[in-house]
Amino acid sequence: MATPPTDSRPSTSGSPSSPYSPTASFYDMSDDEEGEYSTIRAAKSEKGVKLLYTKSKTYIHPSASAKDNVPGYIALIQQKPGNGPNVSSPPSSPVASSSTRRTAETANILLAWVPESSMGDARDIYNKVEQAGSSSPPKQSQLVPPPPVTTSHNAGLGTYPFAVPVSDIFSILVRPPSAGWWFGSIVINTRGGDSFPALFFHDSECQSTIDQRKKLQRENFSISTEGGGMFWGGDEIMRWLKRYTVVERSSQEPSIYLIDPNEVDKLGFGTGGKPSSDKVRNVLEGKHKDEPAQSQWQNVEDPVVKVLKQARWSFLEKMSQVTTFTRRTAQAVAENKNLPPQVRRLMQDPQVQTVSEEFDSARLYLARWAMGIAEQSEKERSQRVWSAKEALEMEDSEVGQFEILDVDAQGLSLADKRKPVTLKEWNGFFNSRTGSLEKTPDEVKERIFHGGLDEEDGVRKEAWLFLLGVYEWNSTKEERHAKMNSLRDEYIRLKGAWWERMVDEQGTLEEREWWKEQKMRIEKDVHRTDRHIPIFAGEDIPHPDLDSPFAESGTNVHLEQMKDMLLTYNEYNRDLGYVQGMSDLLAPIYAVEQDDAVAFWGFVGFMERMERNFLRDQSGMRLQLLTLDHLVQLLDPKLYAHLAKLDSTNFFFFFRMLLVWFKREFEFSAILRLWEGLWTDSLSSNFHLFIAVAILEKHRNVIIEHLHGFDEVLKYVNELSGTIDLPSTIVRAESLFRRFQRTVESIDRKSNFPAAPLPRQRLPQPPPVTRPGSNGRPRQPSSSDANGSGSTSARERTTVGDHVAAGIGAGKEETRVISSELRALLSREIPKLDKTEVREHGGGVGS
Amino acid sequence: MASRKKILLKVIILGDSGVGKTSLMNQYVNKKFSASYKATIGADFLTKEVLVDDRLVTMQLWDTAGQERFQSLGVAFYRGADCCVLVYDVNNSKSFDTLDSWRDEFLIQASPMDPESFPFVVLGNKVDMGEDKRVISSKRASAFCQAKGGIPYFETSAKEAVNVDQAFEVIARNALAQEESNDFNADYPEVIAINMGENDKGCAC
Repeated sequence: MATPPTDSRPSTSGSPSSPYSPTASFYDMSDDEEGEYSTIRAAKSEKGVKLLYTKSKTYIHPSASAKDNVPGYIALIQQKPGNGPNVSSPPSSPVASSSTRRTAETANILLAWVPESSMGDARDIYNKVEQAGSSSPPKQSQLVPPPPVTTSHNAGLGTYPFAVPVSDIFSILVRPPSAGWWFGSIVINTRGGDSFPALFFHDSECQSTIDQRKKLQRENFSISTEGGGMFWGGDEIMRWLKRYTVVERSSQEPSIYLIDPNEVDKLGFGTGGKPSSDKVRNVLEGKHKDEPAQSQWQNVEDPVVKVLKQARWSFLEKMSQVTTFTRRTAQAVAENKNLPPQVRRLMQDPQVQTVSEEFDSARLYLARWAMGIAEQSEKERSQRVWSAKEALEMEDSEVGQFEILDVDAQGLSLADKRKPVTLKEWNGFFNSRTGSLEKTPDEVKERIFHGGLDEEDGVRKEAWLFLLGVYEWNSTKEERHAKMNSLRDEYIRLKGAWWERMVDEQGTLEEREWWKEQKMRIEKDVHRTDRHIPIFAGEDIPHPDLDSPFAESGTNVHLEQMKDMLLTYNEYNRDLGYVQGMSDLLAPIYAVEQDDAVAFWGFVGFMERMERNFLRDQSGMRLQLLTLDHLVQLLDPKLYAHLAKLDSTNFFFFFRMLLVWFKREFEFSAILRLWEGLWTDSLSSNFHLFIAVAILEKHRNVIIEHLHGFDEVLKYVNELSGTIDLPSTIVRAESLFRRFQRTVESIDRKSNFPAAPLPRQRLPQPPPVTRPGSNGRPRQPSSSDANGSGSTSARERTTVGDHVAAGIGAGKEETRVISSELRALLSREIPKLDKTEVREHGGGVGS
Repeated sequence: MASRKKILLKVIILGDSGVGKTSLMNQYVNKKFSASYKATIGADFLTKEVLVDDRLVTMQLWDTAGQERFQSLGVAFYRGADCCVLVYDVNNSKSFDTLDSWRDEFLIQASPMDPESFPFVVLGNKVDMGEDKRVISSKRASAFCQAKGGIPYFETSAKEAVNVDQAFEVIARNALAQEESNDFNADYPEVIAINMGENDKGCAC
């Protein structure tokens, strides 16, 4: 199936290729040089090509996992006219030469896709053109660097930009968003018989689509297009193309749009040797799936057949990602009162019903899709400007009876509070001469907690070092300077220490083995951490270690720095050592600081509070999962009862979120914002648990109504990755915290007599512990220490024995007691482990 | 026979970090390979419907974090497993040496009714890296599997889709046999003794 790549695209394997970025001279061009833009043919073009239209948030989904999705821009591009066809179709192409209507113009118009990661500064221009809309091509020429022209693709595609001349496009498979397809998508099929990977339109993230929809609504009181379906990103692409070429919808297969078809094309698609409707159906029904012996299918290099194969396959693939969903019909989803009418109509479509009966798992998709639509229409209403009020108005949960957060005492309005702190504002906090802070640390932290730090102006570089404890809040400029100098020296010393260890093979055999293993672990993990972020992308230097599994693919300087920092941490904290997940914690700090010594000490600061997540006995993670259990029990007994019924109150499905602070759930830029807020400990040093509950609460109705097993909950929660809106989540988490605080206060008042237990009080421990509503099963596996040593930590013993805030089934109000785990949530003290605990439970070479 | 209720086979994939558990699973279920799967944190699973001897079954393949310390939480999802796949990297001797402890750990945590007959399958992954990189020979791995009661052994490449389908076919078959022996709540200890033929085929790559 795979066609060899043409020379115009970098090969995806082996050969090092640096991320695509505009050349310097490109920026020298101004708008009045219109007409000077060069042909896109020149691979190393010095000049740009004209960007006609573009749309952001168009993704390639290289794998089944949403985490791997690559965001990019789809664009229609024009190169300098008059150069004729710039890429010759492969000689085997049966139709290319027979097209009579191909004009020089369509050969100069290219449909392109450019991943965000490779856009560099050109992104601003893309954004500008996108905002300008599509009612007409931009008046001024907006020039962008030319993406490489190609007419074929190979399997590993996804990270490289490409551009296909419109004259080389045979057809486009258009799949609007619908029940089975989470996102609408298009597939470009070339005249050479190649299919490009599907481009998925994440409409809910795309401002221009949202705007266009709104416009349609204003003008026609409908967000549907003439065809009846809801307007989506793909409609827009077809609209662009229609301006430059003939687009005909296939009568055989309505989702196929032929581009500038000649008579042969039309005939070929209709009858003759090409697929008849029967054949099409066969493919859709998978009759010939996995049967390479069917020579009829093998020999006909027909793009349509190929696309259909792919279409069916990716549909099944989507379905297969989901677990078996217990028998429930789409009807149940349709009855959900939250559904917008257009979704409800769709649910009643017989075709959709068939799909959902055939595939149990389709229901989960329907549920989530419906949720997404509902959320999106909410967003449109609030025009994506989130205020606490709006976020809370849309709450539909039992916890949702929040009061609106008051304007705070300092008289700052909510909008002001939520404005990011700029470098200018930050510098204003300090005495300009001495560099001492002139506000209280709490004031500054509270400001950062609500507003975050400016993404663009570099304020994070400095402010993070305070938040991470590298600098004291009450230090002077001079003191900080001195501190950084000595920290740099210390970093070099530590780095030297492990380096010598490696070279001289010091230590016992066991130690040497441990180091070797750790080095390998770090090596493997760094090469798979945040590689979609520009600084970690690509390999442009040879690997220094020929024994590395990555020796052939090469590396880049930032990856090497990451490895050094993690090995240095392994040296610095030998009692714990490197543990998987730490590379996820370091990457954002390094990306912000861009200096290995500085980032290292920032990471050390972060790790002080995160250490407990990585202990060998997992006691720190268990404590947090248990606290989450208590918190949900207190705040949402109904949801808790449901989870208990599903044997899910181990909250294991939150393990990933808690271990690396939601790193895998949010986009990189959102993580920066989230973490800096969490680092302030403004309300609670465990505010991340409120973020977790806020995420859970958002989906509580779907969970209660549609999820019927531990595995389904886990899958559902895992797949929230990439779909969670951060600003509204933070607002909800804050409300939850306030509510929690008030609940604790009121319970304390009521249970004044007898007094509330002191924190860490130990009650008699009846083994096995049975918890209210947990199906009568003991909920903590207490005996299975990984080493089989059977020793449980002091921490664990404490938590298991403590009273739980009795939410459900515990009878009278009077018996309600706040557990020590819950009470600890009111503290702003960072939970740090002491050294002996790390030594005992760290699992490093020192312990 | 009983009514045609849907059969769910739960398969747990274990092995050191970076041996290719996630990749193998994705190659089998999605026919895709990516060099940049992130390190698995916690657990996740994929499902696939397959025909085993004309019976439609749903395989639920559980992928877990490879670093050993995270396994203490495994009990939450080991329960009810029908087959355990142990993966190592043929170019990394440490990952082979730990197979035994992965197996023991699984048996302790999952505590199947009859540990002696519980089906395991061993996969030696990354055979695409070339003979010069390889440190564990087929012979050595096969000997290990024989010694452990004839565990089926396959040499695979998730990257190049070598032997992946074949291996999972055996996994599905053995898991189904296990599931059925549990269902009837009887003791058929001889279910494991199948597929020595496949075993040979697997090594012949």
